Amino acid sequence: MTVASTKQPRHAAGPLYALGLEGSANKLGIGVLSHDPATNQTTILSNVRHTFVSPPGTGFLPKDTAKHHRTHFASVCAAALRDAGVSPAQLSCICYTKGPGMGAPLTSVAVGARALSLLWERPLVGVNHCVGHIEMGRVITGASNPVVLYVSGGNTQVIAYASQRYRIFGETLDIAVGNCIDRFARTLRIPNDPFPGYNVEQLAKKGGVLLDLPYAVKGMDCSFSGILAAADVLAAQMFAQDKLLAAGGALKEGETRITPEDLCFTLQETVYAMLVEITERAMAHVGSRQVLVVGGVGCNERLQEMMGRMAADRGGSVYATDERFCIDNGIMIALAGLLAWETGFETRLEDSTCTQRFRTDEVHIAWRED
Amino acid sequence: MADSQEFPCALTLDVPFPTARLASVALKSIQVDKELSPLVRRDFSIASPTSGAEGDNVEDTVLQIHYRATTNRMLRVAVNSFMESLALVIEVMENLDTDVLAAKSADTS
Repeated sequence: MTVASTKQPRHAAGPLYALGLEGSANKLGIGVLSHDPATNQTTILSNVRHTFVSPPGTGFLPKDTAKHHRTHFASVCAAALRDAGVSPAQLSCICYTKGPGMGAPLTSVAVGARALSLLWERPLVGVNHCVGHIEMGRVITGASNPVVLYVSGGNTQVIAYASQRYRIFGETLDIAVGNCIDRFARTLRIPNDPFPGYNVEQLAKKGGVLLDLPYAVKGMDCSFSGILAAADVLAAQMFAQDKLLAAGGALKEGETRITPEDLCFTLQETVYAMLVEITERAMAHVGSRQVLVVGGVGCNERLQEMMGRMAADRGGSVYATDERFCIDNGIMIALAGLLAWETGFETRLEDSTCTQRFRTDEVHIAWRED
Repeated sequence: MADSQEFPCALTLDVPFPTARLASVALKSIQVDKELSPLVRRDFSIASPTSGAEGDNVEDTVLQIHYRATTNRMLRVAVNSFMESLALVIEVMENLDTDVLAAKSADTS
């Protein structure tokens, strides 16, 4: 394994332990894992998550989300340590999400991480959230060098690895695909519990009529805001139909009765087809047959199915994880942080700030070979 | 005093901690994040208790925060934000400090 030239790699006999703290969006995730640098064996010891769920029709606001994280930080952290049976003295480092994400929630967790670091006298490692998703996906699925589709409520990127960087091949030009789906769930007033995308997926399974929505692939990039606006227009038409029928009226001749099921079905088919297209193009460029889907939207079974069919046509396969690892969690931060720590990386206390914008390709992936 | 004209609204908070170590942990945990608004200035320091403690072994156990702001509204926003962070740090100390965890694991084993 190659290491950064300026840093000294850290050697150890046996496994190293790390605590991971994640709170870049509405999930507070804290977990402990171990990694043995000699055998490259990763073991998950605990993975505790507490999600801030806002009422139907609303999203999660930074202030309320930060309050949620502060309220549950100590109890979730205590549960993660207890489940793992690991004491602070055994930890090599405390890993926290530096970014990208929402400022106030990120900072609330960073304050807690610093307090732990000072009380326990353990070093901090600031982690890029996207790199955490990728490393976790690679470990869980065993995909060695895949094209990565990273899809969540805040991010949409097609990524391929080259020369110690995760390079962004394509991305959204406006909102994330998960944000598009979450906000449409709000339009339909679908519950946010367990998460809006899950409930959209369940409705979509009962739909079957493909309504008319724009398709917005721009080269390697995607756009979702116009699709959301168009879907909202269709939803408004549906609500008008509801009202008309409830008042005893009738639809115009030849007018399609729009249903929430068909709307969810149409939205999913459209945006996932776009994602499959840009992912396939990246695979063709890179010459890879593996696709790894990570991020909260990655646990959508319809997306996995569509991606799997494309990959099979190319003689390859799709690698995906379930909600324990797909959706934001603490262990993915612990893993990416520990891998960096093993190469000699550490975040000094005075540098342990957060940043809302932190691109995936800014991180030097010192733990992977060229 | 241009400063007191520009930032007329001020507040000083004294937060006593049981030990100098905990006062220092609180200061270092919170001071890393810069004050986001240019309309607010703040200074952190650690002082010894002014009353009560007498004698040679007076430790610096009081976290002292001095806030100045252009308006009372800005002052309130900044101080509230500080109090929220402080509450988190204190809760972490109460529940997750090494001696607390050691006592907890001794109870269960």
